[in-house]
Amino acid sequence: MKTKDEQGNARVTPHADNEIMQEVKDGKVEKLAILFERYHVMLYNFFLRLTGNRNVSEDLVQDLFLRILKYRASYQSHGKFTIWMYQIARNAHIDYLRKQKDEAPLEQGWDQALSRERLPEEELETGQEIARVRQALDKLSLKKKGILLLSRFQNLKYREIAELLGCQEGSVKTTVHRALKELGKFYFELSGGITS
Amino acid sequence: MNCKKINEKFVDFLTGEADPKTRQEIQAHLAACASCREELESLSAAWTKLGVLPEEQPSNSLRTRFYTMLETYKQTLKQEKPAPGLKKLFAGWVERFWPRQPVFQFALSLLLLVIGLGGGYLLNSGKRGTQEIVQLHEEVQNLRQEMSLSLLNQSSPSARLSGVSLTSQIKSPSSKTVEALLSTLDSDPNANVRLAAVDALYLFSSYPQVREGLIQSLSRQTSPLVQVSLINLLIEIRERRAAEALKQLIQDEKLNPEVKQKAELGLQQLI
Repeated sequence: MKTKDEQGNARVTPHADNEIMQEVKDGKVEKLAILFERYHVMLYNFFLRLTGNRNVSEDLVQDLFLRILKYRASYQSHGKFTIWMYQIARNAHIDYLRKQKDEAPLEQGWDQALSRERLPEEELETGQEIARVRQALDKLSLKKKGILLLSRFQNLKYREIAELLGCQEGSVKTTVHRALKELGKFYFELSGGITS
Repeated sequence: MNCKKINEKFVDFLTGEADPKTRQEIQAHLAACASCREELESLSAAWTKLGVLPEEQPSNSLRTRFYTMLETYKQTLKQEKPAPGLKKLFAGWVERFWPRQPVFQFALSLLLLVIGLGGGYLLNSGKRGTQEIVQLHEEVQNLRQEMSLSLLNQSSPSARLSGVSLTSQIKSPSSKTVEALLSTLDSDPNANVRLAAVDALYLFSSYPQVREGLIQSLSRQTSPLVQVSLINLLIEIRERRAAEALKQLIQDEKLNPEVKQKAELGLQQLI
């Protein structure tokens, strides 16, 4: 795609996600590298906030891109790529939970390393705050947590989250509203009833 | 609007999805209703609080694993694909070498025209051929060099890739072409273009300028893929002077462990 920049010079703008995914669908699978570079950090952080485990989150990102390759034939280019991508992300996470249930649960809650990192004195307070937000987030139901993370961090609109989950936009909004209220309450409790 | 209706709009307010009219309505209501004000404040505090969660970087192995998976998948696809028909093969070949941009399409047409006219002329003029064939050959070579040079300077990575692959058809490159290839290897922002440059330079590895450039480039590369491919090339052409550069590379603490292993192995082969 070519456009002109402010100086009027022709330059190449990055291709839209769906154009690239369409090429992947048509057999140019190496183009998936562009989408990987665009989204893997964002997806990693999404899974990390969801599972609290770094290794699991990396596995899930890898699993997600493998699924994109496997199911590329089912991609419809008229939809927004990220909606499809997060649909697959959600499925990958659900399958992971199911598998974990069958096996003995490994670790519960946040990576020990995440909370045990040694912090300088002045960062201690922020570190504790982060740990409390994570714990409060963990107390939410999976549905509330997932939807809240999608709207807060993944740049998805309520309408898009509704499309992704196959539900009404109104119900997404209600869930976000309730999730925030609960999160605030849990955070307050974890801080020992002291607001900061 | 009553409190219930206003409440439903609060989450739109937080993400900025509310239109200006709704925002005004909400603000007007808040000015008069303390309980709604409190509700929005608590939601907004929780929303902001989530912002303390830091964005983390995944480990390097995620990227390595992804590219290995992609490569394996590509290989399986290739094996599954039936051999294409002759017609398809030809069309694919033409498509691969046919430039996308009109100006290069024009240059290529001109090149073909020169070849055609020259060939016809030579066929007709029969005997005084040899010298003119040599001359024509030189002209074609020059045109190719010019074309690859201008392609290498394009802003689109795919144009630069075509530029790199075109150099493989040049028999004896000018030092300007070699320089352009080396500088592509050193500083092209796209790793795929740099990788292609490594392959292209293999053909010219008998040139001292190229060997020198390859050794020096080793310390400038950051992508593990390019590093490995460059090390392979240096071993392949048995360039002993690269040993020093390899030793330095191994000392780099941030070096990707696979590259390090490759470099250590290469060092043994070179010494």
